[in-house]
Amino acid sequence: MRRAPPARAFRASGFLLVLAIVASSGPAAAMDWPLAPPRLAATFGTFAKGRVVLGVELASEEGVVRSSEDGEVAFAVEEGEHPAGLPTPLGSFAVVEHQRGMAAVYSHLAPGTLATRVRKIKAGDPLGRPGSSGWVEGSGVLFQVFDRRAGSWVNPLLVLPPNADDKPPAIRSLALSRSGKTYVLGDVSSLPQGTYRVSVDVVDPADSPWIVAPLAPYVIRLAIDGFEATKYVFDVAKGSEGKLALFALSPVETTALKTPEGRYSLVERLFSRGRVVIEVRVEDAAGNKRSASYTLLVE
Amino acid sequence: MEEIGRKRVAMAGVVVAGLAYFLVCAVPLQKELLLVPAWSRDISPVIPSGMAGASAEGAAQSAASKPAAPKAANAVPVALPAAASQANTSLATASPLPFRLGDRFGYFTADGSILFVETVSYGVALAPDVFATYDSLSEGFAIRSPSGAEVSRVSAPGYPFFAAGRRFLIGPDQATVTELAGNGSAAWTYQFPSIVTAFDASPSLAVFGLMDGTIVGFNRSGAVALDFAPGGSRIAGVYGVAASPDGLLVAAITGADKQRLVILEKRSTAYRVAYHRYLASDYRRPVSMAFTEDGQRLAYESPAGIGIYDRATHGESVVPVPATPRMGQTARGGELMVFLSGKGDQKRLICTAAPDRRVVDLSLNAKRAFVLTKGNTLFLGLDDRIVRMDLEER
Repeated sequence: MRRAPPARAFRASGFLLVLAIVASSGPAAAMDWPLAPPRLAATFGTFAKGRVVLGVELASEEGVVRSSEDGEVAFAVEEGEHPAGLPTPLGSFAVVEHQRGMAAVYSHLAPGTLATRVRKIKAGDPLGRPGSSGWVEGSGVLFQVFDRRAGSWVNPLLVLPPNADDKPPAIRSLALSRSGKTYVLGDVSSLPQGTYRVSVDVVDPADSPWIVAPLAPYVIRLAIDGFEATKYVFDVAKGSEGKLALFALSPVETTALKTPEGRYSLVERLFSRGRVVIEVRVEDAAGNKRSASYTLLVE
Repeated sequence: MEEIGRKRVAMAGVVVAGLAYFLVCAVPLQKELLLVPAWSRDISPVIPSGMAGASAEGAAQSAASKPAAPKAANAVPVALPAAASQANTSLATASPLPFRLGDRFGYFTADGSILFVETVSYGVALAPDVFATYDSLSEGFAIRSPSGAEVSRVSAPGYPFFAAGRRFLIGPDQATVTELAGNGSAAWTYQFPSIVTAFDASPSLAVFGLMDGTIVGFNRSGAVALDFAPGGSRIAGVYGVAASPDGLLVAAITGADKQRLVILEKRSTAYRVAYHRYLASDYRRPVSMAFTEDGQRLAYESPAGIGIYDRATHGESVVPVPATPRMGQTARGGELMVFLSGKGDQKRLICTAAPDRRVVDLSLNAKRAFVLTKGNTLFLGLDDRIVRMDLEER
């Protein structure tokens, strides 16, 4: 009756993820945007004030939040009305059971607009109005997708229609850290040999009236001297043993993913004497790419 | 003549037998349980927390000017005392009692002193010993004593909630829970795999119900004492949980289509299913449930009313009134269960004796209300007033 061990669960999650990707790459996406037009205020993996967003935050003060697919309301609660006195940082929210074992959470709806009495719903049926109930920086809806079979959160951009986005992510800097010191490449061009942690400052531009925090990209790749050192794909997140980890293939605990300066912590490597070429490639969910190459002289 | 004599003898015999019956078999009338109003206080004016106790005099005057206590069908009407001269001496008069009524919160004491009344800006966590107010984008807050003094400061995003003498923080993702130490630091933190939908705590066990249908319990040190997914329903979910005060029983309403009442009991080191039953309900919202203070009975929300589960007999009964938050309160040493039921402007105070005999059914006119029990005393919050009523046998 206990949950599956983490490793096996992640394999299952990866399998379902492939299914989801196949579904999303077809002519029709699995789900529709719950709030149109979609203006992303946070993407899956966005870090904001000590939390990581495990969904997409869609910004709007107007319109209607609609069911993204046929389904059934499994749980709904208005902000401040939990009988156990449990606060709800998700504000007024609803959990809807959709197809293929997927449940979606529609959060931060305007209080008093949540459809609490409906059960069976069709795609496009109203669930409430966008709002700012709970712990959120602006008005809109936080849309999260939970894969019940794998017990993991899935990046909604894998199951939603492509968003009109032609702006590639930005690579703001790459840094090496050791013994509490951080060296931003460009500011320094040479370093003594040793083991360094490589981190990168990457953001995806937002087209939204407000953002939770600089948006996370979809893929970050790091190559050192032509060999891929690490690859982060913001596909799923899964909790196990009291820790939450991102990425299906090589899970990284959320607490270890970002450096105190807000960069993505990528990999720790021994840099030996000589010339080293470090290449970063990033990609957003719409397929826009950006790459940057840094040359470092290790003394 | 002989016939008349026999009739007289027979009549005299009947009279003697009747007298003998009344004299020998007479049973004194059962004492009636009465709700006796003790005091009433107006809480409409804001009294800042820094002025603890300063309002007692004014409150007493207010009580004297507004003596209209709610009328119980079986209560003896008595004049309200101007001060707390009839205070139940078994109550610690100085121990503060927290309250929240609509957007007002504060503390009062059993003798009728209003320690303070403030307005909730966004949220407030209340406990008898501490409280914390917080904003919607809270990244930290102060934990204060009822006197307003800062006890500790928490620097972390999320909302606080207090229960059973324990202090918790739920993160903005509604999936990360931290138990706070006395100094406001994190005693332990746990990131759940899905969002938290239900909660209850006892001094030894904190129980969380999750959207994915799992029930997770933590002991005082933050170690996982219970991790269980009841299953058995088409849709997984946990709609309510309750922990008995001794931490040995955990009850939950789980799943949808069909919904179940599951009761787990700690045997040696692990929790096992002690009782379960499919319910007629199919709630898709959090439901109210709680154990009584003595842990002997569980009150839970059901379509037929308030369901009562008896720990000793595993028997169930129903009090046919709508359930409300803060169930599981008892009076007279657990003899009576006390509920505040109803919606809108109409509320009912109901006291039941086991299993479901209603001994008090009092109609109240109040939009916002609460009931708090301490021994033989009931404190009723009714919109802008707090009323103390003592249960007495007469």
